[in-house]
Amino acid sequence: MEAALWTEKYRPKTLDQIVDQEEIVSRLKEFVTRGSMPHSLFAGPPGTGKTTAALCLAHDLFGERFQDVFMELNASDERGIDVVRTTVKEFARMASLSQVPFKILVLDEADNMTNDAQAALRRTMEKYTETCRFILCCNYSGRIIEPIQSRCALFRFTPLPESKIVEHLHNIAKQEGLKITESGLKSVVEVAEGDLRKGINTLQAAASMSKGITEEAVYQVVGRAKPTDVHEMLTHAMKGDFIKAREELRQLLVKYGLSGSEIVRQIHSEIFRLPVPEKKRISLIEAVGEIDYRLVQGGDEEIQLSALLAKLASDA
Amino acid sequence: MSLEPWTTKYRPRTSKDVAGNKPAIEKLRDWIDSWSKGRPTKAAVLLYGPAGVGKTSVTEALARERGWDLVEINASDKRSGDILAKVAGLASTQSTLFSKGRLILLDEVDGINLRADQGAVATILQIIKETQYPLILTANDPWDPKTRPLREACLQIELKRLGVRDGLPLLRNILNQEGVKANEDALRLILDRDRGDIRSILNDIQLLSSRRRSLTIEDIDLLSGRDRTESIFEVLRIIFNSRTTASARRALSISDVDQEMLFQWIFENAPYQIPKPKELEEAMSALAESDLYFGRIKKTQSWHLLSYALDLMTAGVAIAKQTSLSGWVPMRFPQKISSMSRTRSIRDIRKKAAASIGVRSHVSVRRAQQLYFPLLRFIYEHNLDEYERIAVSLDAKEELDDLLSNEMRPPN
Repeated sequence: MEAALWTEKYRPKTLDQIVDQEEIVSRLKEFVTRGSMPHSLFAGPPGTGKTTAALCLAHDLFGERFQDVFMELNASDERGIDVVRTTVKEFARMASLSQVPFKILVLDEADNMTNDAQAALRRTMEKYTETCRFILCCNYSGRIIEPIQSRCALFRFTPLPESKIVEHLHNIAKQEGLKITESGLKSVVEVAEGDLRKGINTLQAAASMSKGITEEAVYQVVGRAKPTDVHEMLTHAMKGDFIKAREELRQLLVKYGLSGSEIVRQIHSEIFRLPVPEKKRISLIEAVGEIDYRLVQGGDEEIQLSALLAKLASDA
Repeated sequence: MSLEPWTTKYRPRTSKDVAGNKPAIEKLRDWIDSWSKGRPTKAAVLLYGPAGVGKTSVTEALARERGWDLVEINASDKRSGDILAKVAGLASTQSTLFSKGRLILLDEVDGINLRADQGAVATILQIIKETQYPLILTANDPWDPKTRPLREACLQIELKRLGVRDGLPLLRNILNQEGVKANEDALRLILDRDRGDIRSILNDIQLLSSRRRSLTIEDIDLLSGRDRTESIFEVLRIIFNSRTTASARRALSISDVDQEMLFQWIFENAPYQIPKPKELEEAMSALAESDLYFGRIKKTQSWHLLSYALDLMTAGVAIAKQTSLSGWVPMRFPQKISSMSRTRSIRDIRKKAAASIGVRSHVSVRRAQQLYFPLLRFIYEHNLDEYERIAVSLDAKEELDDLLSNEMRPPN
């Protein structure tokens, strides 16, 4: 079945179809020519094509049926050391049955792996290099332990320039029969902030309302689809309305399914936008940091965050 | 300790499982089945009766046993004419994918607030006129003047209080499954006291049996009626009014309530009982500290830490409060307890849907939620056909339907 999510439908299938990250693509194409590749580390912000590049590379190396010798693991879903010892090892160690000399294992969001798991991974990578090559994708290469970094060819993916995003969106709009105004396009690009996936999702959401895409439609998507309620929650707390603020916190947790640490992160960035004295910002950062730590320690999200809201409310 | 309320755990799965009111339920079932022969003269039913007799449960069961979607709008929603028209109107006229059946429930219509829910009655009448799917309205009081126009447009079916004849076997069955012994006189007494309100009875005996595995008439006599709730109210009253740590800690010794349950009661009510923001801050901070100890206990099974958790949640809160309330403020039932099982099942469903999306879009479960749920929610609200196409291609339609239709009403 054809993919219905545009991010999938329009995902390039081969390296040739990738029109950005030129330097990376040309290096990857060399691997294809040589029929070999080293372990690789793909680092860069979300939506810049890391997973796509890995998929395309595998396709170009192994052909249409690359899925047989290719495995994608998501490190943040399966990040424990057990997974490295079982799933990863199993896959890496079995020689491939088909013609290809090695298999490819992609570890997505590898920077979410614990250090222990990374250490275990390091040995596996070394031991089974003959049969399996690893591609580790991450947002921050700094979170990958040194020994792994030193064993990988590093590829730095950069946020897409506006012109490339425009090009992509134009192409999709054309194939989907959309009419997009100049300002509509510009606003999608703005929203995307160099993250193509975000841009495409915004476009698809706007297109669900109408094939004619305007700036207003895009803002409607952004306004509705993205919960801005953290700001509202803080505002209520700072006005002294703790009860209302707690109600909003519960909504965020249950309705939007945000995790406590996500909310903490959003509060952290909001602190700099709140109308409070500079000294206050510092004490808030301290308080937020403490809660972040407590959540790691097993504290209950709702209760710990409520304590923060009560603190804000008492300063009102 | 399981906090799943029995009222949720033992919700009837099918309409046959609903205790009592057989003729009324039969009548309701016949009316729903008559839709297969086309739209009946009365396209809506007003299902009325006292609280806790199973109005919502029977409706849910009827939809479930037919494999239909249930579109529900209840009292906690804002119900202005516009919103009703959007949600219910859409559901009543747009067809479902694979022409799956659908049942629309407007819960607690007598809770309509004429000013806040402007235009609601007129819109409901309009929906009754146009609906292509069976519509069920529920009310406690069918004689409420503001809903009179609705009453006239509906087939009226009454659910009566549950008597001993139907109530006894129901309670007996649940207690058996929970491994709680109770003698018959005790159950008769509680049925009589709570006047057949099954929801409140289940809440009562769940609390009672959280400590005792057998219930006697003395337990009921001592604690039920409204005594059970008074006992937790008494504990809360002591905690929120103690001036010394000793007196606050003593509250625990007179309480039969599970400690974590008590924590939820205190957490829920603290902002209402402690109006001074500075004092509330201190109380919440004590609760947060207490919560940390509960977390550590769970993590490390170090039960000796329990006493710190308890001191902080009782004495910590009591001492934080310095200023007395000027008037009487009623205690509230903790939201966490009433919404817990619902939240848990939502989390499971959410995870399942996200996993399915994640595999197809090469992202983690966590990222799938962040990246694609907002997109799908938006498309769901604006273009149902497109949404269904996407949901099917993601092989997550059932879960997404469930999530998104539930998000139309605030949880709880």
